[in-house]
This record gives sequence, C-alpha cells and structure tokens, in this order.
Amino acid sequence: MSKRDTKNIVTVKNLTKTYDDKNVVDGISFEVKKGEIFGILGPNGAGKTTTLEMLETMREIDGGEALIAGIDVKKQPNKVKEIIGVQPQTPNFEEKTKLTEIIDFLASCYGEKVDAKEILKSVQLEEKASSYPEQLSGGQRQRFSISTALVHGPKVFFLDEPTTGLDPQARRNLWDLVKQVRDRGITVIMTTHYMDEAELLCDRVAVMDEGKIIALDTPKKLIKQLLAKGFKKEQHVEQADLEDVFIDLTGKALRE
Amino acid sequence: MSDLRKALLPITTFVPMDIKRLFRDKVAIFFVFVFPLIFLLIFGSIFSGDNNVSFRIAVFNESDSEIANGLESQMIDNDFFDVDEEVTTTVQANEKMGRGQLDATVTLPSDFGHSQEGSSGPSGNIEITYNQSNENAGRTLASVLDSMMNEVNSQFVDTSVPFTVTAESTASEGLTQFDYTFSGILGFTLLSLGVFGPTTVFPRLKQKGVLRRYKSTPLKVWQFFVANVLSNAFVGLLALIIMFLAAVFIFDLNMRGSIINLSIVVVLGTILLFGIGLAVGGWAKNENQAAPIAQLVTLPMMFLSGVFFPVFLMPELLQNITRFIPLTPIIDSIRLVITENASLIDLAPELGIMIGWTVIIYLIAFKLFSWE
Repeated sequence: MSKRDTKNIVTVKNLTKTYDDKNVVDGISFEVKKGEIFGILGPNGAGKTTTLEMLETMREIDGGEALIAGIDVKKQPNKVKEIIGVQPQTPNFEEKTKLTEIIDFLASCYGEKVDAKEILKSVQLEEKASSYPEQLSGGQRQRFSISTALVHGPKVFFLDEPTTGLDPQARRNLWDLVKQVRDRGITVIMTTHYMDEAELLCDRVAVMDEGKIIALDTPKKLIKQLLAKGFKKEQHVEQADLEDVFIDLTGKALRE
Repeated sequence: MSDLRKALLPITTFVPMDIKRLFRDKVAIFFVFVFPLIFLLIFGSIFSGDNNVSFRIAVFNESDSEIANGLESQMIDNDFFDVDEEVTTTVQANEKMGRGQLDATVTLPSDFGHSQEGSSGPSGNIEITYNQSNENAGRTLASVLDSMMNEVNSQFVDTSVPFTVTAESTASEGLTQFDYTFSGILGFTLLSLGVFGPTTVFPRLKQKGVLRRYKSTPLKVWQFFVANVLSNAFVGLLALIIMFLAAVFIFDLNMRGSIINLSIVVVLGTILLFGIGLAVGGWAKNENQAAPIAQLVTLPMMFLSGVFFPVFLMPELLQNITRFIPLTPIIDSIRLVITENASLIDLAPELGIMIGWTVIIYLIAFKLFSWE
C-alpha cells in the first residue's frame, strides 16, 4: 500500500453542510493523494474551514461522505481521530503548563507515551522544554502546536490558515516545517488566504467559492489555464518585491 | 499496552499535571487555600470569641449610702456588666436603649441603703428599666441582680438557706459555637471550590479553543471528567487539611470523630459539588453564560443549607426542603462527624442523598457537556 504513492488517502463525495436551509458546503467532491500538500483556497465564507472541520470530525457531516485512509468519517469518527492531526487556527494551550507536560498529555489522549524532549527538538524548541506556552512568541507557538498535533504520527495533517498573523520570518519557517511534515510521508491538507503561500507550498489546490469547488489542479496548471485564456498581467520590470527587500534587510533568521 | 491502561493513561497523565499547574498559579492558590482561610479567620473570630455574656448597662446611683456605692463599684468591676460611664442622664440612657446600644438602665434610688423608718437595718429597691425589644436581657439582668442582693441580704439577716442551686460550666469539655460553625465554613469552601473553579475555567478554555483541541483527539468526555474530578478531589482534601489544622490550632476545634470519616465525607462532597460546576461550566459557551447560572445555583444553597445560620431556625416547611439540597447533607455529615463522632453507618441518610445527587448531577453534566 505504501508503494503506491498516487493512491488517494482522502476521498470526498458530495460533501454537504447545511445551516439554516443554506448549503455552506454544497455537495463538493475531491480526492487528496497520499503524501501531497493539498490547499483549499477561497474568500471568507467560501466554506473552506467548514469543509476542513467536517474532515477533522469537528463538524457533523450533513450530506455525502468522506473517507480518510478508507475509514468513513461520519460513521467512525473515533477511528479517524486516531490517524489525523489537527492544527487549529489560533493555537492555545492551558497556562502554567510546561511544554513537555502538554506533549505528554496530548500523547496520552492517543494512549501513547512519547519522548517529549525529542519532539520539541524536531521543532527547535528543546530549550523551551520547561517554559509555559504563554511565554512563547507567535511563531514558536505555531511550531509547538504543530509538534503536538503530530505526537501520535498521524497519516493526515490538517492546518487551518496556519500563517495568518505571522511575520515574514515566521511564515517562511512554518513553510519549511510543513514541507518537512510532508517529507515524513504525512499528507497535508491546509486552507489559506495567501496565494504566494499556496503557490509555493501546495502540490494541488482547490479553489472554493459559495460552498462549491470552482477549480482544482496544480498551481502551475491553473496559471497556464488562465494565461491560455489570454490573461495579461501588468508588466513589472522589477525582479524583486517589497517582501524580498524586507527579508534582505532583516535576514531570514527566525525572531522570537 | 492493554486497552484498560490505554484508557486510563490520559487520566493518570492529567491529574499530576493539573495539580502542579495549580501550585504554579498564585491567583488560584489564593482562591483555593488563602481565601477560605481568611473566611475561616473572620467567621471563626465572630463565633468563637469568649462565650461570656455581658450586659451593657448604665448605672444611676442617686444614693450616698455605703452599700449603694459598694454595689456600684462592684458592677463596674464585674466582667458580667459592661457599664457605660458616658451616660449621665435618663434621656441619654433611653436614647441608647432605643438604639440597642444599651441593654438596660440600673437605678439605685436616693433612699437605697439607708435605714427606713420602723426597720432595724438598711434596705432598698433596685430599679431596672429596659426597652421592650430587649425583654430577655432585662429579665436576666433582674434575676442576676436579685441573686446579688441575696448575697447582700445574707450579711444582714442571719439565715441558712435550705435549698440552693449551684451551676458549673463544662466549657472545657463541651462544644463551642465554633465547632458548629466550622462545618458550615468548610461546606462553603468546598462549594466555592467545586462550583466557581470549573464555571470560570472551562468557559475560558473553550473560548481559547483549548478544549476544541482535545475534541480532535480520541480523548473521551468520561476520561476528561474522571481526570478533573480526581484532581479536584485531591485539592479539596488538601483544602480540608489546611482548614482543619487552622481550626484546631487557632480556634481549638473539638474534633470528636474520625479523620478518615471526615475525609471520606469531604471527598464525596467535593465530587458532588464539582459535578455542579462541571455541569454549568461544561454547558456554557463563555463566562458570561456561566457566571449568572453559577450564582443562581450557589446563592440559594449557601443560604438554605446552614452555611450562615442554622437550619433549625427556619420554618418547618423550608427545613424539609433544605434537607434535600445538595449542600445540606454535606454540611450536616461534616458536623456530625466532628461533633458527634458519627460513623459512616450513622451517616447513611446523608450519604444516600449525596450519592443520589452525584449520580443525577453527573448524568446532567455528561448530557450538557460540549468541547466548544
């Protein structure tokens, strides 16, 4: 099974969520391939987060079905929980609790014992082992949160707008982390508002609007399709933008 | 790992973490351990005091006789009377009695202690006036002065009294007011620990999305409940030990029962009251929802369960109701263990009501709980 890399790990058919007679997710279908980074894009209210939450077992599925590694999300949510990791939009933790204690507890929720220090090391936080989460910077907290979502070695990792509110250095660091997660063979499904992020990170993206998927392909192909329609962007002669200037001035090193 | 050990792992991991966390939080320590102690000190000093009754009186000595002067100075020296020497006129005295600042006025008339016509020795009549609202104090004072006069009389008339009464205080072995009050204070502490803790903490954790993260893991609600209950029972027991030691060393609490029985009652009571907090805090989506409900539940319990004043002072109908309020059997059984050395069998009715409530409350809490 592991040799067939193109095998779909997530299959979604006619997935629907209804609030007050309105389908906020309106019968969408898509597949996510094993080992890829899959992005869900779209404006606010498009249904990205709701879609993600249904797959995460956090919201009831009103219609259609979703399979993760062959397990029906609606029928066996508890089994699905054991093979997925979830990174919330705003990662918060209980205060006055050491990072190692939080990792130990979250691992215990999966019935597992882990080496908390080793896990912290994987996100360069080994020096913060005895700190409390409220003492971490925004970027550190993101990294810590990702490490806690992976304590049990999930097959699929969900991130909801992971870089919102982070500074450019922390964003880049997080991108590296997400790639590392993918390189460990974990399939990543994420939502984002940032197109540069999607273009750089995602192997394939689904663009949602008003509860429907209106496009789904690799970023490159989507761009080609647009150009093929005769789209022309205002020409820029500069080979850099303000963010390049910012990174050049302040360096890539992570600020905490 | 076996399935059972896997299922218990979150609990055995959570409890020590949660307890350590409490000790790192100065605000929590204040509310859990220091605040109840302050409460104990305040209520303890109100109810323990010295048990001597004293009368606040004004004395008007209009006589110049030796006996009258002697009696006056005796009243001033005696601990039994608290003589207000600022009062010099009857008008003042009446005013103060009306305000409840004086219990009575004692007047020794001008002929007091002088020999009357046709009698062999000195005689006199003490006049006592008191406010109608203070009849008990007035009558008691009258009988006290009456017995004082008997002493005086016996010096003038040689009599042997055939029937006497001697009263002796058993204060050293008896129970003080504090022994009764302590169970109420302890009950109040367990109530605030059990209800105000979870009703502020859980909604806050929900708003921050902390519980939502737990929801995305295989952690079950019952595991989360058991873990929290155990941690809270431990804290409740610790609060009991601290308050108990303070009560014994500062207020000379007379502990007649077994510490183990007391601990069992306290742990059961903590679990019951924590269930109320868990139901409210587990249901509420935010603190604004939780706070008024928590007040609504705790205030009537505090007033009806004998925390602040004894249940037997209430009308009979109300007493029958209060018996079944969750806090009442807790306070009653704590008091019965401390003052009457009640065994767990003696406490069967109270424990029965407590266990019944525990089952009902946790079923409700389980039904209402949400992670978000």
